[in-house]
Amino acid sequence: MIDEEIVQSLNSYLSFQLGDEFFAVHVSKVLNILELIPITKVPKSHDSIVGVINLRGSVLAVVDIRVKFKLAHSEYTKDTCILVLQVLIGDEYVDVGAIVDSVHSVLEVDENQILPPLSVGVKYKSEFITGIVKNNERFVMILDIDKFYNLENFTSQVEEIAAD
Amino acid sequence: MDNFQKKFVEEATDLINNLEEALLTLEKKPGDKDLIAAVFRIMHSLKGGGGMFGFDAISNFTHNLETIYDEVRNDRLKITEDLLSITFSAVDHLRNLLNPEALNDKIIKKNHDTLLAKVAQVLKRMSNPESKIQQDSSDNLVGSNEKTYFLQFTPNESIMDNGTNPLFLIEELCGFGTSLIFPRLHKVPLISKLDTNKCYTSWEIFLATEKSAGQLKEVFIFVEDDSQLEIIKLADFNLLTDKDTIEEIEKQFESKDNIDINELNEFVNELDIKRKNLKVTVKEKLNSFTKENIISSIRVDSDKIDQLMNLVSELVTTQASLSLYVEEKQVYELNQLSENIENITRQLRDTAFSISLIPIETMLTRFHRLIRDLSVEFNKNIEFITEGAETELDKTLVQGLTDPLMHIIRNSVDHGIEPEKERIEKGKTPQGMIYLKAYYSGAHVVIKIQDDGKGIDLDVVKKKAIEKNYITADAQLTDKEILDLIFIPGFSTAENITDVSGRGVGMDVVKKKIDEIRGTVDLESKRNIGTTITIKLPLTLSIIDGLLVEINDTKYVMPLNLVDKIYAVQHEKFVKAYNNLVIIDGEQIPFYNLRNEFSVVGQPLEMEQLVTVKYEDKRVGLVVDNVIGEYQAVLKPLGKLYINHDIISGATILGDGTIALVLDTNKIIHEFSFKN
Repeated sequence: MIDEEIVQSLNSYLSFQLGDEFFAVHVSKVLNILELIPITKVPKSHDSIVGVINLRGSVLAVVDIRVKFKLAHSEYTKDTCILVLQVLIGDEYVDVGAIVDSVHSVLEVDENQILPPLSVGVKYKSEFITGIVKNNERFVMILDIDKFYNLENFTSQVEEIAAD
Repeated sequence: MDNFQKKFVEEATDLINNLEEALLTLEKKPGDKDLIAAVFRIMHSLKGGGGMFGFDAISNFTHNLETIYDEVRNDRLKITEDLLSITFSAVDHLRNLLNPEALNDKIIKKNHDTLLAKVAQVLKRMSNPESKIQQDSSDNLVGSNEKTYFLQFTPNESIMDNGTNPLFLIEELCGFGTSLIFPRLHKVPLISKLDTNKCYTSWEIFLATEKSAGQLKEVFIFVEDDSQLEIIKLADFNLLTDKDTIEEIEKQFESKDNIDINELNEFVNELDIKRKNLKVTVKEKLNSFTKENIISSIRVDSDKIDQLMNLVSELVTTQASLSLYVEEKQVYELNQLSENIENITRQLRDTAFSISLIPIETMLTRFHRLIRDLSVEFNKNIEFITEGAETELDKTLVQGLTDPLMHIIRNSVDHGIEPEKERIEKGKTPQGMIYLKAYYSGAHVVIKIQDDGKGIDLDVVKKKAIEKNYITADAQLTDKEILDLIFIPGFSTAENITDVSGRGVGMDVVKKKIDEIRGTVDLESKRNIGTTITIKLPLTLSIIDGLLVEINDTKYVMPLNLVDKIYAVQHEKFVKAYNNLVIIDGEQIPFYNLRNEFSVVGQPLEMEQLVTVKYEDKRVGLVVDNVIGEYQAVLKPLGKLYINHDIISGATILGDGTIALVLDTNKIIHEFSFKN
């Protein structure tokens, strides 16, 4: 078994693509990469939760990050994947699936290579982005997935729906 | 706290609970020897365990209690109400002491000292001989596993040659229980002819013990060749507790040289008949208490059971995929195998589920205690009767049920049952009654709590509802509708809020808690006759019998117990329907088209299925595309992201690996009806 702490201390990030943009999450957060399988929609749920899938006998909620970033929906292709991420919600680690257009590579990034996120004139809410890395002439945004999946982000809107 | 200590705390908690239970029974039957013995035994185990694992406070504290009950056991002290009260407080205090740091807490320490002083007082009073009880010989024969044996031990003369002293053997034997020994000296020669190296004596022994005949034989294992031994079981009870019997035996057999076995048997038979006539009634009553001690059980970490349940759930799912595969591929050889596995899986599932069931009895002790304490506090005379305590429920359900039941019972004691004087004025029995009954009803467990108190005053409820603007002053409500108002959050009818019932929470919390474990609450009340609260619960939380339905390729499961009937209806009928009512079997049925309500895209089918489900006491229709059939659904949580999503109670994995969502039809109908 790989020691949790060793993984934590690695400077490795998994990069993936959403539309034309590149993002990355720390490898300690990624449990699995699944090919896209049919997703069961859950009625009356938040827009950004696509539905649930069967992950080896347990039920895994799958979210669409695009909705969060207000990116246009794109057709699923053979490159579309589900990343199984371990996310801190409240004070509990929860497995969550996230649909991405394609998975690229694992980037080795030195701490000092990470640039602070821009705070002016950006498309994406910088609260989710911890930094930016330049890789092969491309800018990759590093996501703070724990903040991104903050429970309130989902429940508040569900309540709105219920209150309608 | 190390592992051993944790284990001790676990065990001690059980012991303390048993102790409380035994004390409660003892309160009703103060003369019962077995109960006193049980109380003593538990205290003794607590003391021993406490000392061994470093809980010195427990050990010392219990030591004093034990001394008192030792006196009680030996008839030197009588059980009094006062003594029981002290013991009850001591039991509560013992629970505190399970925390090794407890005595650092000032309040606990003070309590500790007060109790110790009280116990010391009792001990002091004990030296006063006036409290001696009359021995009731009839109680002595009851219960316990003691048997009475008759042993004839005739050593060979040469037995002492290899250093054996037969007296040691006799002594060891007597250590097993109560005994009555007749040494037979007729073979002893005159002193002039006596060889001091030889043994002339033989023994005849009556022994009452819990040991088996085999264990008795073991005592003589080294002298088997040097002696004759005969062991006869005389009776399945202790013959030697009763003074009269002992005298009788002595009279009959002491003077004789040898006891004739036939004569002995005859004598015992006679005694037995006498005893039976005397005991039948008492024994039956006792059964309920002693039974529990006989059941052999093992302690298992509840996490392990959860894990087992998860594995079984997965097995059920996997098995379903296997069946599906065999059916699709038509593999003949596999067919038989798959069927076998299906069979075994079902049995395994049932067994695993039964493991996680515990009898509701486990929480009843607490209620007995609660009612006892509250009756004293409110100066009311209340009897708590339970029926069906052996009814089993999933352990998570029992956990979720304790608080609401506690609240209901508190309510009954505080608001329901009237004071003795008032009851007599009303022509009721002076003693109030709270009756708890649990029983199985189909796939449900029903728990009924009934009191014979003053009931709920509908006028007060109505007045209050108007005051709080829940209803208008001119609203025409049926009695049942008025009673249901009590379940509205924030509704409490208590005029003066007491410590017991009015904590700002009321029946709405009870309802919410019961809802959480997928149960229902029903309230019935008649003025001056009493109130009955009926709670209906599913047997288990993790598996439900469902009806598998389909809407646009997504599959859903509805709880089968709520499904009433299924009708095929043309889509047009629903489109034309006025006010969401459709006429089926000459009856107007309100319906919800799940396709619309769930905002499903796509064309509806020409012929749709209307599933009518029970909702409160009405029938409501839910429209789906197709009904696939019955399905046993292993319920899985949807996960944290769906935490507020209560129209879906969970998901289940179908044989082909896809997911079906389990609908909570009550919540769906409730939500949709509110919306419209």
